[in-house]
Amino acid sequence: MTRILPRAAQAVALPIVLLAIWWWTSASSDSFYFPPLSQIVSTFPETWLTGGSHSRLVTDVLPSLARLLVGYTSAVVLGTAAGLLIGSSPTLRGLTEPVLEIFRAIPPPATVPLLVALAGIDNLMKVLVIVFGCVWPILLNTVAGVRAVDPMLTDTARSYRINGLSGIRYLVLRSASPQIMTGMRQGLSIAIILMVISEMFAASNGLGFTVVQFQRTFAVPEMWTGIIVLGLLGVTLSLAFQAAERRLLRWYFGLRQAHRQE
Amino acid sequence: MTAATRPTSRWPSSRRVPPSTMLGIAGLAAFAVVLEVLPRLLQLPSNVLPPLSSILSALAGELRTVAFWQAVQDTVVQWALGLSIAVAAGASVGVLIGSVPVLRRATASTIEFLRPIPSVALVPLAVLLFGTQLRSALLLIIYASFWQVLVQTMYGVVDVDPVADQTARSYGLGRWARVRYVVWPTAMPYLATGVRLAASVALILAITAELVIGSPGLGQEINAAQSGGATALAYGLILVTGIFGLVVNVGVRTLERRVLSWHVSVRGEVTQ
Amino acid sequence: MLDVRGLNKIYASKDRQVEALRNLTFTVAPGELVCLVGPSGCGKTTLLKCLAGLLDPTAGDVLVEGKPVSGPPPGMAVVFQEYGRSLFPWMTVAQNVELPLRVKKMPRARRTELVTDALAAVGLADTPSAYPWQLSGGMQQRVAIARAVAYEPHVMLMDEPFAAVDAQTRADLEDLIRAIWERTGVTTLFVTHDIDEAVYLGQRVIVLSSSPTVVQEDLTIDLPDHRDQLETRALPRFTELRTHVYAEIRAAKHAVLSAAQR
Repeated sequence: MTRILPRAAQAVALPIVLLAIWWWTSASSDSFYFPPLSQIVSTFPETWLTGGSHSRLVTDVLPSLARLLVGYTSAVVLGTAAGLLIGSSPTLRGLTEPVLEIFRAIPPPATVPLLVALAGIDNLMKVLVIVFGCVWPILLNTVAGVRAVDPMLTDTARSYRINGLSGIRYLVLRSASPQIMTGMRQGLSIAIILMVISEMFAASNGLGFTVVQFQRTFAVPEMWTGIIVLGLLGVTLSLAFQAAERRLLRWYFGLRQAHRQE
Repeated sequence: MTAATRPTSRWPSSRRVPPSTMLGIAGLAAFAVVLEVLPRLLQLPSNVLPPLSSILSALAGELRTVAFWQAVQDTVVQWALGLSIAVAAGASVGVLIGSVPVLRRATASTIEFLRPIPSVALVPLAVLLFGTQLRSALLLIIYASFWQVLVQTMYGVVDVDPVADQTARSYGLGRWARVRYVVWPTAMPYLATGVRLAASVALILAITAELVIGSPGLGQEINAAQSGGATALAYGLILVTGIFGLVVNVGVRTLERRVLSWHVSVRGEVTQ
Repeated sequence: MLDVRGLNKIYASKDRQVEALRNLTFTVAPGELVCLVGPSGCGKTTLLKCLAGLLDPTAGDVLVEGKPVSGPPPGMAVVFQEYGRSLFPWMTVAQNVELPLRVKKMPRARRTELVTDALAAVGLADTPSAYPWQLSGGMQQRVAIARAVAYEPHVMLMDEPFAAVDAQTRADLEDLIRAIWERTGVTTLFVTHDIDEAVYLGQRVIVLSSSPTVVQEDLTIDLPDHRDQLETRALPRFTELRTHVYAEIRAAKHAVLSAAQR
């Protein structure tokens, strides 16, 4: 018990200190751009929660999250499927590698104006932006993971006539999953950035749109609450991802630890 | 195996280009052909997907303008400046925190909390404070790139072999000497990875700043081209950013290989 | 059951050609336990891969149950030397043993029965939900053997399965193989570099020459059917047989050396 307490205390010590510093230094400030933290906190409920089904939570945050989810999931499915295909065929890989590297090197925000022109400012455009942006790390990491499957395991599977779809399901996909998850992690942070950018650039609703509106109308405390919401979103998604990773890759972490102890 | 009676030659008798390169070139060529033929075949309007030749000729024209090179310079300056500051700050803070276990434990939760905050969240703040000046773009770029470098450097410092460190101590090496001869070589590959990741993140944020905040640069040029109806030019400029990204990536990797040529084989799994 | 005729395998790279197997001809009758022994580098693994259908020979035929082999044949199970890399680390012991049966679309009840029996037969009845990397080397190899046994193969190929295991574990595993063979009567081809092991286990021992490999000798082991680590190895006939095999192998090595010196 006494060991747990100091550890938990250590974890929250610095954040509490920093928050306290923020609170106290801003309390007496009359800077327009840095309102007191107390004011920011008090503005929170009315900015986001009041209005029931018309609250910004429902009209802006949820649609943003929905777009993010659809875009990200589509990118995962597309990237993994294409990665499996390309990774299993050296010919296909050789053919597509340079083209894929070019696509991956294009900073995703650069494609936003084009996609707005092509797909309008509605949900389709935003989902497309997210998909186009975050499919590349997923795809390329899947290819790497498929290539790295231990040939000994492949031989074993072949000898037991585990081929084709069964091979992909039981061998390739599971073996490549650590690498695929790395790609998915990179893809997630890109997806969040793109979701926000696409809404800041051209939109009629959404988290990014709302925050930019606050800034344009100089509603500074509200703007800060928006920044905090975005921050919380990033953190929550990251934690959720880590939890999922820990569960799915339990075997991998165990294996690595066993090897390290040798 | 019968013993060889003639010496094995050092160079293959026929210098053949590796087949993967041939395939790569073929793939690129095929892609170029599709990009040229498909829009014409499907008679796509020029504001959806112009054929490759239109894109390239629009780009060629743009390359002759001063405005283009000014925009390139703006983007590169933002990117390079932001990246350098982020690397300097991230590396030094990373070494500091990484070498002191107490600091590491104390800051772990804060870092894990601040790190996933998307730097685009700071866009409105940047606009309010600095408008479209360089500093607003720098705010975004530095914030995003700093974490990449910091985290990787910390991994590197933590990875130092305790036996090597103790050996150095027993030979009387002071703190700074140890940092130079033990910590630095171990941390360098991690730092290199951090710089590579930060470089690409910095480019993304630079373009973002140009698009959303309106700082001068390639992002703005793309926006202007698109709203002016010059779709072929917009595609061309997007290609330019892609090439810049590629050059940066290849450049950093080459630098990595050169500087770390003694280490690449020893490098273990590098978390990305 | 297993019929090898004129098996020839040449590895061709752009600079040179290596003739790993020159001309191998031998048969294994149904229900026999035959050991293959030869000096290091004599292409034992190449031979095994050709037999298992994992490698295509340059010339010659391999027939399993009368049918030519052109890919891993059904009814054949292979146990590899590198047990650590032939078990799927993301599956538990039981799941590993069950996998080939699942892919064969066997009904669940029968699968569970076979898996439980196989694990009991190799002495791992109480570790079904452990992961392979949590087990010792000897136990991992037992899992691989259980997987082969559960598959109910007609032919079992073993490629130096105990080479990477310590001597005491090896003795236990040798007896395990013998016991399984006596119980199931499955045709077994056991490749090893350990002469004592080959003589102890086999009904016949096929001695391979050095590379380029041919069958040097096909020796019948006339030791009593009941083999025991202490008693059988103490028999004078055992010593005669192993000395004979050892002499054959040494002669094979010298033949190569003197040919090289010419």
